[in-house]
Amino acid sequence: MHEVANTPRGQGVLACIQCGRCTSSCPVARVVNEHNPRKLMEMIILGLRSEVLGGQLPWYCLSCFTCLDRCPQGGDVGEAMFAIRNLTVKKGNIPEGIRTQARSLFETGRVVNASKMALIQREKYGLGKEPVVNIEDVQRILRKTSFDKLITKGL
Amino acid sequence: MQKEVVVVGGGISGIQASLDLANRGFKVYLVEKSPCIGGRMAQLDKTFPTMDCSMCILAPKMIECAHHPNIQLLTYSELKEIKGSVGNFKVKILKKPRYVDEKKCTGCGICAENCPAEAPNEFDENIGIRKAIYMPFPQAVPRLMVIDKDNCVECGLCDKVCPANAVDREQKPEEIKLDVGAIVVATGFDMFDPSAIPQYGYHRFKNVVTAMELERLLCASGPTEGHLIRPSDGKIPRDIAFIQCVGSRDRREWIDHSYCSSICCKYAVKDAVLIKEHEPNSRIVIFYIDMRAFGKGFQEFVNRAKSEFGIEFIRSSPGEITEDPTSNNLAIYFEDPITRTVQKFSFDLVVLCPALIPREGVKELAKILNIELDNYGFLKSEDPVKKPLDTKVPGIFACGYCLGPKTGDIPDSITQGSATATRVAVVLSLKEAS
Amino acid sequence: MKYAFFLGCLIPAREPNYENSIRKIAPKLDIELIEMKGANCCAPFSIQSVDHMSWLALAARNLCMAEQMGLDILTLCNDCYESLLMTNTILKEDKEKLDKVNKILADVGLEFKGKTNVKIFSDALYEDVGLEKVRKTIKNPFNELRVAVQPGCHLAKPKRIHFRQRMGPTSLDELVEATGAKSILYERKEACCGGPLRGVNDEVALHVAKQKLDSIKAAGVDCIVTVCPFCFIELDMGQLEIKRHFGEEYNLPVVSFAELLRMAMGMKLEDWEIKTHRIPITKILDMVEAK
Repeated sequence: MHEVANTPRGQGVLACIQCGRCTSSCPVARVVNEHNPRKLMEMIILGLRSEVLGGQLPWYCLSCFTCLDRCPQGGDVGEAMFAIRNLTVKKGNIPEGIRTQARSLFETGRVVNASKMALIQREKYGLGKEPVVNIEDVQRILRKTSFDKLITKGL
Repeated sequence: MQKEVVVVGGGISGIQASLDLANRGFKVYLVEKSPCIGGRMAQLDKTFPTMDCSMCILAPKMIECAHHPNIQLLTYSELKEIKGSVGNFKVKILKKPRYVDEKKCTGCGICAENCPAEAPNEFDENIGIRKAIYMPFPQAVPRLMVIDKDNCVECGLCDKVCPANAVDREQKPEEIKLDVGAIVVATGFDMFDPSAIPQYGYHRFKNVVTAMELERLLCASGPTEGHLIRPSDGKIPRDIAFIQCVGSRDRREWIDHSYCSSICCKYAVKDAVLIKEHEPNSRIVIFYIDMRAFGKGFQEFVNRAKSEFGIEFIRSSPGEITEDPTSNNLAIYFEDPITRTVQKFSFDLVVLCPALIPREGVKELAKILNIELDNYGFLKSEDPVKKPLDTKVPGIFACGYCLGPKTGDIPDSITQGSATATRVAVVLSLKEAS
Repeated sequence: MKYAFFLGCLIPAREPNYENSIRKIAPKLDIELIEMKGANCCAPFSIQSVDHMSWLALAARNLCMAEQMGLDILTLCNDCYESLLMTNTILKEDKEKLDKVNKILADVGLEFKGKTNVKIFSDALYEDVGLEKVRKTIKNPFNELRVAVQPGCHLAKPKRIHFRQRMGPTSLDELVEATGAKSILYERKEACCGGPLRGVNDEVALHVAKQKLDSIKAAGVDCIVTVCPFCFIELDMGQLEIKRHFGEEYNLPVVSFAELLRMAMGMKLEDWEIKTHRIPITKILDMVEAK
């Protein structure tokens, strides 16, 4: 629990009183039983490290922050989800869809690049070429934060 | 001068302080903002855990106040100015005009029967209506009518039909100057408006009510004569939910009532049992975070509620409530603590237990009296441990919920009323001796 | 009003018509959009999930660019708004994080000074341009259009950063109603569209979109108005996918707020733009035609 509290965006975990308002507000919890924000906080509080970091629960989160807004104690569970995801990525646990966006970011400076159709439309209808990213600077930053190493871990 | 006291607030705590002071020989001016004394206790149906009728306990005390030779009731009045210091306060009270001659009115009510103008009934938490000339509730002390000029249409019918010729439209506000030795503040509480938590649908959904509105619906003197019917269609609700901690224990900056209001768990269980006794076929669910039932007899009461009365207790704070537009039934979304999945239960009526907050107008009063308030607006004690009933200003004391959430409710408020009376007596006699 | 124009990734990539609408309505509102040359991705939810400092540094790079331009940043997308606004707030308040980020940014010759503000288009209209001015630009008001406004998750959440009430009348609803349309209150207006999970877990994303569309349908509206491009794709294209998956049809046209404003200002959408809407918007176009 204290490990998470000391991870960026995880400090709210110390305030959780397990009231369950987050879970009953979560749009995904109604669809996927495994995704249960209150349960995540419970597992963190109980110190179930391998379950928390090995499971899929945090990756169902939409980061819609409905839970966070309704939590009466400042448990910030929506933020804690980010902290947990950061920790699981460090262990090499990262869904394919996220890895794809991350790689695109590192290689092109954008998480998604223009489709052929979009490029044609831009040219044809006066929007000009796709805006250019200063990819050198982006890659310099991401190498400094070891982003590139994180997203290739476990491959 | 020294033996006279002003008590601001005519609720049970202020009433108790007044009676104890009066019985010790002090002259008490009981100043009450509304047209009659009684406060919150007058609005309640029954009190826990004895399930006694609230008015039956309160009324004798109110009448004693009215008849006590040492107590002068100054109702429909507010404290506006204060000068001086302990033992020698010079106080100005502003008495609002009732437009009814207090010496002539007998409280017979014929005027109200004939009055054409209506207004929301504040005593009934704005359920139902009252007339522009009205008595707040049948057992009002003093037993006088009052005209609400804002809603009065000036038709003069009340004047025509009054057998005592008591209507006096020319009445003016009256300034009363008093020399007193001490002040007691006993202004009580308001209920936080749950519209600030929009997911619960208060004001949007007809069948979502606050606990105080429920009390009025349950009370025989209330808008439905004690028949619990739901606001949308007047049907008797069978499935009823209570939601605890609506605003209490909430640290979010835009709500900011981090405290526990301390009495809501108890009154919710009381109301649940009351309803179940009346309608044995009803299904009552209490959604809570913690069940705070401390003190004499309360945990046992909760246990009985579960085992004898079949009240369901679900440890889960609901995320939101939705309404079926045709039936006006409500669906509560909550996480089932056993299956750990999100469930949806349907209810006919939902009762919200809101945070209890300081009364409106306390900020202004504190400024006038130069006393300190905490960040929630409750009165600050001089020392919360050693002198909990003294304010920082010598000679100004407090009792009851205006000091903040307390461990009990009515017994505690009565206890504090008595204790404050003693504090006043002690301080003033010390002052006299010096 | 001049702004550093932050386009983000999704709009240039998938919705150039959104950009087109903004460029067309901006001059009418006296808004000048200055290009941010070389700006990178804001680092939305997916990137924030990978690494904390990478997010802050990337977002801060864009903020520094705007600072150097001496302008506030204007975003169109809710995710860009959230990423840049949160970064701006964190770095303005947390000295330790600021020092860490500036160390990284020093490598690319930048320093975050906290001199810029982050605005999303709808808020910029409400706060900087003002409702009155917006109303004056309306030539073809939509007098009978019932709209379900989808504010999107990050327009007002987390509330403690945004501090505004979003159930009931809000600045976005007032702007929509300035076009003459009526913003209809529906259940769970603040709920997510499911967009962030697209490409990560499409099935769950679709279920969430369905919840959203169900509550919108129950309110009885003519169309949906979005701000965020993710919401647009999820609620527009999502309707086709929901039809395939669940068999449920909504036939609710979706337009972006910029498009709604553009049409109300008397400008016609071009054919290629109309075609980008998967659910036909003929109902709305007919209303415009009828003037």
